[in-house]
Amino acid sequence: MSVIAPDFKLSGFIKSLLDNIFWILLLFVLIGLPAVFMILIVIEMPIIDGELLTPFLALSYLVNPTRTLPVIQAFMTTDIFRVMAFPGFGFAALLAAGTIFAERKMMAKIQLRVGPFYCGKFEGILQLMGDGLKLISKEIIIPAKADKPIFWAAPVLFVATAAAFVALIPVAPGWVVADVDLGLLAVFAVIGFFPIITILSAWSANSKYPFIGGIRALFQMVSFEIPLILSLLGVVMVTGTLNLSEITASQSNFPWIVFLPIGAIVFFIAMLAELERIPFDLPEAESEIVAGWLTELSGMLYGLVQLGSYLKLYAFAALFVVLFLGGWNGPMVVPPFPEEIITEGIEMGPITLSIEGLPLLTQEMLNGTLWFVLKTVGVIFFIILPRGVFPRVRVDLLLDLGWTKLIGLCFINIFIALGLVYAGVLGPGGLQ
Amino acid sequence: MADIAFLALSVITIGSAIAALEMRSLIYGSIALMGSLGGIAGFFLLLDAPFVALFQLAVYVGSIAVLILFTVMLVKRELIFKKIEDQRRKYAGIGLMLVLMVSLGAIFIDSGIKTITTDEPPVDFRDIGIDFVTYYWPALILMGLILAGTVTGALVLARRVDVEVGQRTD
Repeated sequence: MSVIAPDFKLSGFIKSLLDNIFWILLLFVLIGLPAVFMILIVIEMPIIDGELLTPFLALSYLVNPTRTLPVIQAFMTTDIFRVMAFPGFGFAALLAAGTIFAERKMMAKIQLRVGPFYCGKFEGILQLMGDGLKLISKEIIIPAKADKPIFWAAPVLFVATAAAFVALIPVAPGWVVADVDLGLLAVFAVIGFFPIITILSAWSANSKYPFIGGIRALFQMVSFEIPLILSLLGVVMVTGTLNLSEITASQSNFPWIVFLPIGAIVFFIAMLAELERIPFDLPEAESEIVAGWLTELSGMLYGLVQLGSYLKLYAFAALFVVLFLGGWNGPMVVPPFPEEIITEGIEMGPITLSIEGLPLLTQEMLNGTLWFVLKTVGVIFFIILPRGVFPRVRVDLLLDLGWTKLIGLCFINIFIALGLVYAGVLGPGGLQ
Repeated sequence: MADIAFLALSVITIGSAIAALEMRSLIYGSIALMGSLGGIAGFFLLLDAPFVALFQLAVYVGSIAVLILFTVMLVKRELIFKKIEDQRRKYAGIGLMLVLMVSLGAIFIDSGIKTITTDEPPVDFRDIGIDFVTYYWPALILMGLILAGTVTGALVLARRVDVEVGQRTD
């Protein structure tokens, strides 16, 4: 049981909610409705389908699915929906938030602790919300000699760059924010901004620990970008395109991890280093340099950087899925939308409700999203798993790994891809 | 639309180039340099060359600018630079730049480049690749050799022989 609020009673909580609803309704009827009608005398309402749009008609439109569904459908094809909600920021932020909670709970289970437990009735599921509220309500402390413009701008830029990365990921057939013809190159261009923002944020704090952490981050990110880019050349060779949607569509029979396992392994290791995850978390090594380049950030600035880094984690995991695990491809498991609802409508006792515009989402899209999310969650699991297993590596070992071993493996991977293409196994006339 | 974008990009590129030269703070100067390089990437996008534009972003903004920033951060600038404030030199420089740019622009506009109209689609990067391995293969091989030589030279220069101490090194 919770000990934080010992006097809590569910019945009292529900009673207070009902009280609030009662007062809101009363105030709306006594003050709100007269005010609305007084304003309506002045405003001329439009005529829709030969009927004057009165407030009653507008309210009945709101609860009438035949009226609202086309509006929702039209809204779902707009760019703003794609950017804000589904393949873009909202969807990614939801997965990122889930990742934070799952990571804390999983770390606790691996280390035989309990983990978040008291927030929410069950296993601390409201912990994340509590953390978010805490971060929002905390004061933002800026060091006295910090460079204020950069210090303020860096976390915002970090989230913006991570969101730009998320925008390039295709989630389901046709569901991508920015379907760039050179998608993979755009990914590399976006990744290149992370070290700049990191080092600027670290420098602007004007403090020793952030600067050490920032320089480590710069070393690590810049040197692991090379194996990251080289390990993807194999995939580009066998598909002959840089468009991420086309790369995904080309894996309808086999995911590329079957043919290019070395590239996948190198990409995964370079990804861990780019994300500053254990065992490569030198920039944030909390037992050596407090919190690395995040040390001086407080309040919502820290929250923004955390959000950005988990968005980046989601985006990298999704990129791995898109390039090596086949993206949205998978067996059709989502049942088709019932035909009789489209043709005859829903029977509810004496009345039959026939709604135009159904189904809202196609079967392919739902199935693709399901497989994509399943695979991405699997990859995220393998990204956060090493945190409970491995110790941190030393800086020289890290750089040695990146500059010698991983680049060598990359070239082996490229020659495998070339061999597969020239032998006719893949490419034109081959399996795909 | 393209004209407005072109004007905005010109203002960003030239403005941040001037800022990069004139800023007292070296860090802000290198950030302004990044803006200038990014503006050039925007010009490539306007010219229907997204391949070059993205490489400009990835290489110049993502790597070169980072290296400059990194170097600037590690330098104690008070020790190596002396302030030389000279108004006459400054105005002479600005005037020279203006004369140069106006004359270059006059030459470009006079050359009849404005009368050229084309509606060809943007060049596909696959065509660039095919051109490189067929017609321009000697250039490609030369570039590859130069790059390989440079990398090897850098590795040789950066190699150091670790002195054996009691501490384990691997």
